[in-house]
Amino acid sequence: MSILLSVLVFFPVLGVLAILLADRGKGESDNLIRWIALVTSLITLVISVIVLASYNPAVSGLQLVDRVPWIPAWGIQYFLGIDGLSILMVLLTAFISVIAIAASWSAIDKQVKAYYTFMLLMEVGMMGVFLAQDLFLFYIFWEFTLIPMYFLIGIWGGTERVYASIKFFLYTMAGSLLMLLAILYMGITNGTFSVPDLIAGRAAFADAQHILFLGFAIAFAIKVPVFPFHSWLPDAHTQAPTAGSIILAGVLLKMGTYGFVRFNLPLFPQASFDYAPAIAVLAIIGIIYGAIVSFPQKDVKKLVAYSSISHLGFVMLGIFSLNTAGIQGGILQGVNHGLSTGALFFLVGVIYEQRHTRLMSEFGGLWKAIPLFSVLSLIVVLSSMGLPGLNGFVGEFTILLGSMGAESLGTHPWIYTAFAASGVILAAVYLLWMFQNVFMGPLDNPKNEALRDVNRRELVIFLAFLVFIVWIGIAPSGYFNLMDSSVSRLVNDISATVMVGQ
Amino acid sequence: MPEVTIDWYIALSVILFTIGSLGVLLRRNAIIIFMSVEMMLNSANLAFVAFARYLGDLDGQVLVFFVITVAAAEVAVGLALIVAIFRTKKSINIDDMNLLKG
Amino acid sequence: MNAYGLAPLLLLFPAVGVLFNGLFGRRFVEADAKVGERWSGWFASLMAISSFVVAVLLFFTLQTNEFHPVVVPIMDWISIPAADFYVPWAIRVDTLSVTMMLVVTGVGSLIHIYAIGYMHGDPNFSRFFTYFSLFIFFMLILVSGSTYLVLFVGWEGVGLCSFLLISFWFDRKNAAGKAMNADAGRKAFIVNRVGDFGMVLAMFLMAWTFRSLEFDTVFETAVEMFKTNHIVQFGLFSAPISVVITAITALFLLGATGKSAQIPLYVWLPDAMAGPTPVSALIHAATMVTSGIYLIVRSNVLFEIARESGPVIFGVISTPDLVALIGASTGLLAGLIAFTQFDIKKVLAYSTVSQLGFMIAAAGMGAYVAAMFHLVAHAFFKALLFLGSGSVIHGMEHGHHHLLHDHSHAEDHEAVFDPQDMRTMGGLRHRMPVTFWTYLIGALALSGIPPLAGFWSKDEILAHANEHAQVVYVVLALAAVCTAFYMGRQLHLTFFGAPRHAAAEHAQESSRLMTVPLIALAALAAVGGLLNLPFLTTRMAEANHHHPAGVFVGLESWLEHSIAAFELTEAGTIHLPHTPIVLSPVVAGISTLLALVALGGAFYIYRNKPETAADPDPLQRIKPLWWFRILPLETFYMKFVVPPFKWLADWLAFAVDWNFWHDFVHNNIIRDMFVSFATFLADVFDKFGVDGTVNGIGSLTKGLAGAIRRTQTGFARTYALGVFLGAVALLVYFLWVLY
Repeated sequence: MSILLSVLVFFPVLGVLAILLADRGKGESDNLIRWIALVTSLITLVISVIVLASYNPAVSGLQLVDRVPWIPAWGIQYFLGIDGLSILMVLLTAFISVIAIAASWSAIDKQVKAYYTFMLLMEVGMMGVFLAQDLFLFYIFWEFTLIPMYFLIGIWGGTERVYASIKFFLYTMAGSLLMLLAILYMGITNGTFSVPDLIAGRAAFADAQHILFLGFAIAFAIKVPVFPFHSWLPDAHTQAPTAGSIILAGVLLKMGTYGFVRFNLPLFPQASFDYAPAIAVLAIIGIIYGAIVSFPQKDVKKLVAYSSISHLGFVMLGIFSLNTAGIQGGILQGVNHGLSTGALFFLVGVIYEQRHTRLMSEFGGLWKAIPLFSVLSLIVVLSSMGLPGLNGFVGEFTILLGSMGAESLGTHPWIYTAFAASGVILAAVYLLWMFQNVFMGPLDNPKNEALRDVNRRELVIFLAFLVFIVWIGIAPSGYFNLMDSSVSRLVNDISATVMVGQ
Repeated sequence: MPEVTIDWYIALSVILFTIGSLGVLLRRNAIIIFMSVEMMLNSANLAFVAFARYLGDLDGQVLVFFVITVAAAEVAVGLALIVAIFRTKKSINIDDMNLLKG
Repeated sequence: MNAYGLAPLLLLFPAVGVLFNGLFGRRFVEADAKVGERWSGWFASLMAISSFVVAVLLFFTLQTNEFHPVVVPIMDWISIPAADFYVPWAIRVDTLSVTMMLVVTGVGSLIHIYAIGYMHGDPNFSRFFTYFSLFIFFMLILVSGSTYLVLFVGWEGVGLCSFLLISFWFDRKNAAGKAMNADAGRKAFIVNRVGDFGMVLAMFLMAWTFRSLEFDTVFETAVEMFKTNHIVQFGLFSAPISVVITAITALFLLGATGKSAQIPLYVWLPDAMAGPTPVSALIHAATMVTSGIYLIVRSNVLFEIARESGPVIFGVISTPDLVALIGASTGLLAGLIAFTQFDIKKVLAYSTVSQLGFMIAAAGMGAYVAAMFHLVAHAFFKALLFLGSGSVIHGMEHGHHHLLHDHSHAEDHEAVFDPQDMRTMGGLRHRMPVTFWTYLIGALALSGIPPLAGFWSKDEILAHANEHAQVVYVVLALAAVCTAFYMGRQLHLTFFGAPRHAAAEHAQESSRLMTVPLIALAALAAVGGLLNLPFLTTRMAEANHHHPAGVFVGLESWLEHSIAAFELTEAGTIHLPHTPIVLSPVVAGISTLLALVALGGAFYIYRNKPETAADPDPLQRIKPLWWFRILPLETFYMKFVVPPFKWLADWLAFAVDWNFWHDFVHNNIIRDMFVSFATFLADVFDKFGVDGTVNGIGSLTKGLAGAIRRTQTGFARTYALGVFLGAVALLVYFLWVLY
């Protein structure tokens, strides 16, 4: 028993209290609130690093478990735990939260108190999702994350923010209802909601596993989003404030892919195996479709939003390769996407703050006006394109390596791999197009000449991104090491079960 | 001289109770109704005492004390109410009081 | 001497160069242009030279250690224990990689020095050298990686540098208003990515088949598997090893056609000439574009196995034959296109494509040493030619500036002066003597005139083709004729005859910084043949099959330590991927004769035409030849690939995803249907259904209550009567009903 994880999850609540106490109204204490939020998220980051230090990568099961009965009559527990499947997600969440709070420093000037309160609550929800090991608790956190995000988009978003936030809310909510039914079914048949216990007792609902799988899968697929459930994404991303987009791309989408790894694969191994080809096909359609659709976008932020569909397609393909390389690549690529797409949204936000437009046609030749910013952007773009030596490549390579030898994809898995790899070409097409239109060409719009280069705060944020982009790019072994034993246990478990099932 | 058996007490008690109830139902004066109620209570007391004596058991007598106490309290509250009503209505005719009419 | 341990320095120096120029270069140059440029340029050059020194040390180390290949590990890269996948960062030092290192750093250093002169005055001087150092860094990773994956890092990295350097002047627009430099850079990157698609797929296949991407392991396992007719199995997939290796090599070929600009992906290289000329010399002639050849030579074991596997591709052809065929046809096609170009650099670009075709063809035929020999020789003379053309362009620009100063009003009508158009040149040999003489040496070397480097290297390829593949020989010989002809045309248009434009009359010789590297390269182009003189090698081979330790005799015996003989069959027959070359007097004689005739012919045809810049080219009368100007594949891509893709992307993005999926399905169908359903519920169902029921219950209650309220008279005695009756009823109940 350890309360470390509980502290990690609920620490931001202290920040919320501090913000509420500190507020003197009329925007007088806005700066103080910003600092409180930043410090709170920084301390949370430190706590997450302490968690990392106490985490033993050699152990494949749950660690640092905090488990007390909550509603014993229904077998519901307050149950937190961490393992190789979630450790990277937890670190990513802590990191992205700091970035998001720092990124909104000057962009948000109305209702500052409410904004940072929601940001910190968001962090609580996200941490809870990644740490909860009881399905009931998980569901509560899962739904809880909707609320702050709904307000972040709906209050501080763009012109069509209300439409976007409602769509986001309803879409996600609709998906998770089916998951709730599946959760209740399993919890009632087994008398417990604890995930490890359910995995041990999965024989009890083995007959219904295909339907249960779909119940979970639809909720997660909407969150990811898997093609064709992506329609909420461009709206939410384009309307959300910069920090909202960073969190959305950085963490919220990963909740979907994490859900697949954490729940679908171990709870319904046979169903996962049976549905793998279908999901892989959807993932590949997503990769190619997302990349093609990104290309003609006129709004840079929308382009980045659509590119997420393409990137998340890789993650899904990796997970449903159902082998160690694929799943590890998938999880790592989730982190990579959070970093590079988060950074892309950030850079769009920096320009938007000054020019109040995101249309590519308004830009061009920015490299001449703001060279440092352009170089940083180039590295981020290259990372998103999967240039070897940067993080994106490591993830994509491992995923495709996994898919190439995936038993779940039948006798010719190379067909899947080949189609997915064509996404690498298309990524170059749309990202370079965007880069050229914004940063290259003549600097012929006089409004752009007045742009300022990155200030110190933005530089620090960029560098924070770049450190990890490069680190994962050239020395990812440590990251793989963190999840190696957990993932191989999961894979062995699946292959053992599927063999029996055949 | 005929022996005064339990039957006599019961008969008296019944007569008193009947007079009391008829008084409650038929009279209009609140004070009279009140007195009738007292009469009903005391008829019950009489029956209690008689039975106690007849059965050689003290329970009935104990109960009578309770009833007397409650009756005293009731009189106090009831008279106070009547006085209060009289002050506002200048009448204690209960036909003038039908505020509970549905 | 043992300098293996120094290998990481090879990469460290250029990395320091990148950091220095990237972080401080701009500040230096902005503070004081003259001093800053000197610091920035010379620091980068010094880093390249330092790497060259390390490469030379490695060269001698190999000599003194019996050419023993060594892998110098640096650190772990991707390591996934559970998936049994491990790739380290490591440097492989063997004769092949050291050859490439020497070329890259040697020629690279000269071009660095040249570029200090060439880029003088450019506002982004330091950025240029940052990219240049970055390029050297990635190119060295490419040639020194000990695994395919590390090779691929360099492979993509040089592609990035190529993109950055081509679009170096990203704000330039052409007459049509398009940002042509940026477009060209993007095109190069994307076309290369098509090739990279093949590379990554090949690596996935290798990783699952051989469980490693390390060169030695892959080759050893491949040979073992081939000997035992192994059936490759991973996941549920299974295929014979011959098929798998054919697939791997075919995918390599796709990668090589991208990087080394072969059919069908050569289209990016001519456009790449939009970049600064030192870039064209270093990246698009001497080093990066040869990495496809390096890849094939490096993978010679796999290609030889593919050759042994026979015609697996559609049952028609084996991969090495396909490689040779593609190389030869690219050689000829590019040679023909070069006839029709007016831009001095475009001629050289197509010439590069053509020469790369020679190398690819040689590698495809199994003449790996010949391919490497031509690669090295080509690096010398083609870098020389590009630098020479840069010097010419500089001279012409200078002349043009001179004119503008003299009579600025006269030039108004001439909106765009193109200093690269050969039609405006002529007679430059008097104005720019050093450039002329060095250029002449380069051109003759390229044309294959003895005893210059190109003669020896090209002849080796032709001799091999003559012996093993007659078709390839004929095609390549024709390509060689083309080479001599277009070089003759270029020489004449540029340096001979009379100036056809005032700018050419005022052209000026370039600075010492530029001419000294030209002279050095000219010397190399002249004597480069010494690297692999056929009779020398032959005599060595006859003398004692063994190489005297510590002495470099020729590429043949030097590279033998990387391109090793190996056994492919159970019987133990030794399969030699290369045959020791013998000078074939007939072949050499024929090609020399043809080259001389072609050169002479070109000089004859262009002896007094065109007279002015506006005159048509004499060749323009030969219509079919001029068709090659409308670049065959370029047109195809621009008509049948790019517009359909854009159309598809537009259609998917706006019609399908936005109008249909987002607006129609989600907004119109789902949302609006929900809204109309809700309206129905609210206005119809709710009003008459729900409200009706609820109101009904309400009025019923009301009616009942109305009836019942009558009992509530408000008179105390009514209630008392009720109580009384109730009591009676209870009594009756207890007395009669219950008992």
